[in-house]
Amino acid sequence: MIRATKRDLSAYASLFAMIPKVFMAYQIWFWVGLVLNVISMAILVYFWRAIYNDTSTISGLALNQTLNYILLAFIFMPLTNNDLIWEIGMNLREGMIIHHLLRPINFQGMNYAQSLGTLVTRLMLQLPMVVVAVLLFGLRFPSDIRVWLAFLLSALLGYTVMFFFNWLLACLTFYTTEVWGLGVLIEGMNFFLSGALVPLVMMPEWVRNIVLSIPFAQALAVPVGLLTGITPLSDAPRVWLIQVAWILGMWLASSLFFRVAVRKITVQGG
Amino acid sequence: MTRYLNLYWYFLIQRLKVLMEYRASFILGASSTIVWQASSIAAVWVVMQKVPILNGWSYDEVLLVYGLVTLSKSINHMFADNLWTLGRVYIRSGGFDRFLVRPIDPLFHLLADRFCQDGVGSLLVGAALLVKTSIALGIDWTPDKLLMLVVGVVSGGFIFIALNLITCVTAFWIVDSVPVTRLVFDNHLFAQYPLSIYPRAINILLTWVIPYGFASFYPASYLLNRDVGNIAWFAPVVAALLLFFGYRFWRFGLKYYSGTGT
Repeated sequence: MIRATKRDLSAYASLFAMIPKVFMAYQIWFWVGLVLNVISMAILVYFWRAIYNDTSTISGLALNQTLNYILLAFIFMPLTNNDLIWEIGMNLREGMIIHHLLRPINFQGMNYAQSLGTLVTRLMLQLPMVVVAVLLFGLRFPSDIRVWLAFLLSALLGYTVMFFFNWLLACLTFYTTEVWGLGVLIEGMNFFLSGALVPLVMMPEWVRNIVLSIPFAQALAVPVGLLTGITPLSDAPRVWLIQVAWILGMWLASSLFFRVAVRKITVQGG
Repeated sequence: MTRYLNLYWYFLIQRLKVLMEYRASFILGASSTIVWQASSIAAVWVVMQKVPILNGWSYDEVLLVYGLVTLSKSINHMFADNLWTLGRVYIRSGGFDRFLVRPIDPLFHLLADRFCQDGVGSLLVGAALLVKTSIALGIDWTPDKLLMLVVGVVSGGFIFIALNLITCVTAFWIVDSVPVTRLVFDNHLFAQYPLSIYPRAINILLTWVIPYGFASFYPASYLLNRDVGNIAWFAPVVAALLLFFGYRFWRFGLKYYSGTGT
């Protein structure tokens, strides 16, 4: 009798202990994420410092300019990040997409609003990294308010370019029905092509031409270029115009492709 | 031992059958790792076109370091990737109990349960980098260097596996061990470049605490006849110690394990 009660108690105690563990897990992720980001940032900074050991400027950029660019690109990385492929892919897999398509609201518009919300949240979550970059790695922000405005507009435009581009890519999942691999593949390409690792001016001309003829850089390298002053403020209107042209092209292409692809929908159960 | 080898073979065959059912996914998975590596390497290439020397290391020498750590990582990725999922997939769902009632070592069962095809991508990248840099640098493959290559890569692979094992055991207490494993695992990113570019503290960390340096920087230094290269012969000792400790810790965690009630 006593033994049975004891056994019951220990079983209930384990169940009780489970819940704090689950809560702890979310807390842990916040701090771990922070440390992982510090590691990645530190590697970038030490790499660049070592590169500048034997030279004072590369392609006209001094060490502090390059570091500013790299750190800001790191912080504003969420601009390139878009979950559309996973979002649409998962909707497809679970069959939810049917309900979304039947709603009396523009499907693309709905997703854009949601993704802007995600972007703002993600940027807020980068705030600890801003503190780290300023305190540990000497990040300096520009003081000119006009530079900030030019950057903000360019960032919003660039983000929109990537939204439509990701929409185009997400339509591919209607054909491949494979989401995870495709998503990781595109993120990997984005890593270099967005300009997160190297300022565009340092790239050999043919590489830069390729990078600028695909959309990835519009969301990161282009706005961060304005923010760091690598692209002068006087160039801002030209930059915005190019980005608007990108948006129009990508919007058109993605709408057309979506209209074709949606007929291919094969829901994988759900 | 032969019994376990046979068993592993059966597990592997089963796994490959599953993979062949999802061939597109297999190819995408392996190529996605390649694309990630290519991005990092492209960045190094661009920069070192402009500045050919990174703290005394040429472009090809840097790539050799990068290639060695990628090879070691691929061993871990292919054969021990399941350690990551111990908490999320096996313990949370109660599936781990299945291992405990079988007449084989539960750790072996966990490892053999899933050969991870994505690691093949890293293996290809690492091998390609090794061949490329070996030719470009004209490395003279004397017997001691060949031995060092094998010792370095295999010990490096076991260092990766041992560190993941030690950290994944925390799943027995906190269920989701992934954050703990990531916290240690991501330090290998330091070892993609010559450790000499980092401050002393990071060097000590990557040599004596989280010794990924033995998977890249030290064997590469040996192959390139650099000063610190001889330390690389310690790699098997470091790997063996870590594995020994990891397995003891695993047994300890197993004793504590009581299931989640799922």
